[in-house]
Amino acid sequence: MMEQKSSKNNSSIENEYSVIIKNLSVTYQTEPALWNIDLNFPKGKMIAIVGPNGAGKSTLVKAVMGLVPITAGKVSVFGKPYSKNRDKVAYVPQRGSVDWDFPTDALDVVEMGLYGKLGWFRRPNSKTKNLARECLGKVGLSDYEDRQIGQLSGGQQQRVFLARALAQDAQIYLMDEPLNGVDVTTEKTILSILENLRKEGKTIVMVHHELQTVDKYFDWVVMVNRNLIANGPIKKVFTKTNLDRTYQEKQRMSI
Amino acid sequence: MILEEILSVFLGIFTDYTLRYVALGSAILGITSGALGCFTVLRKQSLFGDAIAHAALPGIGFAYLFAGVKDSLLLMFGAAIFAWFGGIVALAITSTTRIKQDAALGITLSVFFGLGIVLLTYLQSVGGSSQGGLDRFLFGQAAALIESDVINLGILAAFCFAVLILFYKEFKIITFDSSFGQSLGFPIKYLNALLTSVIVVAVVIGLHTVGVVLMVSMLIAPAAAAKQWTSNLKNMIILSAIFGGLSGIIGSMISSTTEGMSTGPVIVITITVILGISLIFSPKQGYLFKYLRNQRKSQISLNNIKTISDKEMENDGNF
Amino acid sequence: MKKPILTASITAVAIIIGISVVFVENNNDVKINDLENSDGISEKIIVTTTTNVITDLVENIGGDHVSVTGLMGPGVDPHLYRPSAGDVKKLQNADIIFYNGLDLEGKMGDIFVKIGREGTSVWAVSENIPLESLLILNTNGNFDPHIWWDVELWAEAAKVVASGLKEYDPNNSEKYDKNLSQYLNQLEILNSNNLNKINSIPQDQRVLVTAHDAFQYFGHTYGFEELSIQGWSTDSEAGIKEIQNLADEISKRKIKALFVETSISPATIEALEAAVQDRGHDVVIGGELFSDAIGEKGTFEGTYVGAFTHNIDTIIEALK
Repeated sequence: MMEQKSSKNNSSIENEYSVIIKNLSVTYQTEPALWNIDLNFPKGKMIAIVGPNGAGKSTLVKAVMGLVPITAGKVSVFGKPYSKNRDKVAYVPQRGSVDWDFPTDALDVVEMGLYGKLGWFRRPNSKTKNLARECLGKVGLSDYEDRQIGQLSGGQQQRVFLARALAQDAQIYLMDEPLNGVDVTTEKTILSILENLRKEGKTIVMVHHELQTVDKYFDWVVMVNRNLIANGPIKKVFTKTNLDRTYQEKQRMSI
Repeated sequence: MILEEILSVFLGIFTDYTLRYVALGSAILGITSGALGCFTVLRKQSLFGDAIAHAALPGIGFAYLFAGVKDSLLLMFGAAIFAWFGGIVALAITSTTRIKQDAALGITLSVFFGLGIVLLTYLQSVGGSSQGGLDRFLFGQAAALIESDVINLGILAAFCFAVLILFYKEFKIITFDSSFGQSLGFPIKYLNALLTSVIVVAVVIGLHTVGVVLMVSMLIAPAAAAKQWTSNLKNMIILSAIFGGLSGIIGSMISSTTEGMSTGPVIVITITVILGISLIFSPKQGYLFKYLRNQRKSQISLNNIKTISDKEMENDGNF
Repeated sequence: MKKPILTASITAVAIIIGISVVFVENNNDVKINDLENSDGISEKIIVTTTTNVITDLVENIGGDHVSVTGLMGPGVDPHLYRPSAGDVKKLQNADIIFYNGLDLEGKMGDIFVKIGREGTSVWAVSENIPLESLLILNTNGNFDPHIWWDVELWAEAAKVVASGLKEYDPNNSEKYDKNLSQYLNQLEILNSNNLNKINSIPQDQRVLVTAHDAFQYFGHTYGFEELSIQGWSTDSEAGIKEIQNLADEISKRKIKALFVETSISPATIEALEAAVQDRGHDVVIGGELFSDAIGEKGTFEGTYVGAFTHNIDTIIEALK
């Protein structure tokens, strides 16, 4: 378990880090999915979350947003609980978590990103539509706004999801395997957009599946296998030792 | 001759009291279950819809058992409570045991329906002097609809549509991408409960016309048919409501031409025919056009091959 | 889902199922007709019947010598009645069984034949009625089973009950004969009272409109025409066309009243009433008639004579 430098005081930590995770544990029924995670996401960084299958990477992302019940621990987003700072976080779920046969088009999906800002009972209008259009343009899919989403390629679908996240105009982007199974063009587009966001000081957190590209695309890595194995800048932390520790077969719970 | 008959039946909707209210009541059911059924179908919850429909049966029996009267509103209330109850039990089984959802639904459906039949059998052998006829809710008894019944159904339907309009974007997002919706702060548990509740109300509307056993088809078939024609949710809902309403009206009309013909099953047959037509003839997804398109594609390929091989032969000849 | 809520739900379901079972068990006890036996030894003949009009008949002929259990109570529809396992037991435990026959107990299948083969004494109370006295159903050419609304035919049924009891219990033949003749007397009085009362209804109003066709024999005896929505058995559908046709007929002939039945939901008659009123004729629901079952035990209407009288009085009040 990584020791955080606790010499700085709280507000200082909050200035540097957008998300602070303390002592997080998540259990499904009797299976511990995550155990005792102490972790901060630094601002303005491209952060990769890596680990073997079933390591709890998706669970970690979901736990930050309260999408899974937390057994123990605390998560704060910009100093407050997630529920108070929702508008600062944009979530891009796994592409496979959605039925793309749903009767809707690309523009409509992007517009859904604005439902949170609309709140209860208010309906999407021309303003939201235009905003959605803009975001769709940013990912290069302006010509596809009327296309039923099932007719888009995997890469295009992923870009629609990104456009939806952009519409939320958030400070933190939590993404679950967005580069999985996409074409080269899409990958380039996504990464360049994310890089621009990072430059603006936003926090990009991505569950990433491909170890070879970690040091190419990211500057910070979180290595997790139910426990937190390692967490820090790529150059320091992404070592063979840590990789071995992360990917060894059975991970025992260390308390 | 036949044309005359069709015309007279059609006019009967406006002129004849019985046909007017039966058609109206059936149309109200069709429109409501058509619209709400879109969400059932898209959430892949068709079996869930069937389970809560069957779960309504013991509610009718208990309402009579405890209240002792055949007050229509009271029976509807009992039906609604038990339908809701059935939904909760099904979800509880899934979330606390290792039984998967389809098994949980099957269990719930059978247990509640069985309980309902046992109750009706018990009531048939004891009942006060006026319990007769509770089993008309198995397959509906549309012919007995009168103006006050239809007004009640209309009110229930209005409630359903009010909820649908108010919560349209919420229902859309929890159906399409519930975890994303949850991340935005929408309380999906409560929204799911709300959606289940309006479907329960639709089931209650359907008890009179098609009954407990056939209700599920009114939730599924119009939506499945509509999905064949459009890839826009709003249009799908509207089209599904139209299909459902039409099947209610046409089914009523057809069943009024022959003596002893029960209206509920005829409505279900009508919507099934509409579904069949949609599956075969819809331009983008229908079987007929897919078949024709495939034929054309393979014909084009054959032509291309022929052209190439012709060219080859020409070239050969020239060498 | 939170643990407490789901535990509560499953507990509630279990409790409800448990209560239902208890209800059913209690019901089995309640129905048994337990007369006090002054001898101290239970020597009563155990009789099981189907409809409660037959129950009443057997009690009148058998008196203190029988202990009668009727499967169907007041408000029970014999056309749709499916016997439970408990019912079958009651049939098997009986010394004698009396049922209606002529397919009234339509859903009970050939259970009577089967039990008869096992040695129990089984009688259809309609079995001695001469064929020419039976009315035919228009729909399928079979015999109409609703014989009890013809007093003379019911007298024949009473004789069958007496024969059955005498055959089983010859020692008490005299008693049964005495009860029979007393009862036949009562029936005669009933019949002549009925005929007298009927006279107050004008000829053109002698139309009985009910939910199902239970009153053909009544109509035949007292000069009434019978119109109904569902035909001879409640097993058939009440369709839109039936209601339309009837509504046309009733408003054309300006018939004053329709009647609901105690064993059937009033919904179809109410729908008919609305349809007729929409056609401009002010028809009302004249009252509730006993059709396939008589009233609660212990009341006047819980006897054949009482139920019949109630019917006649109700009809007269509505149509005169």
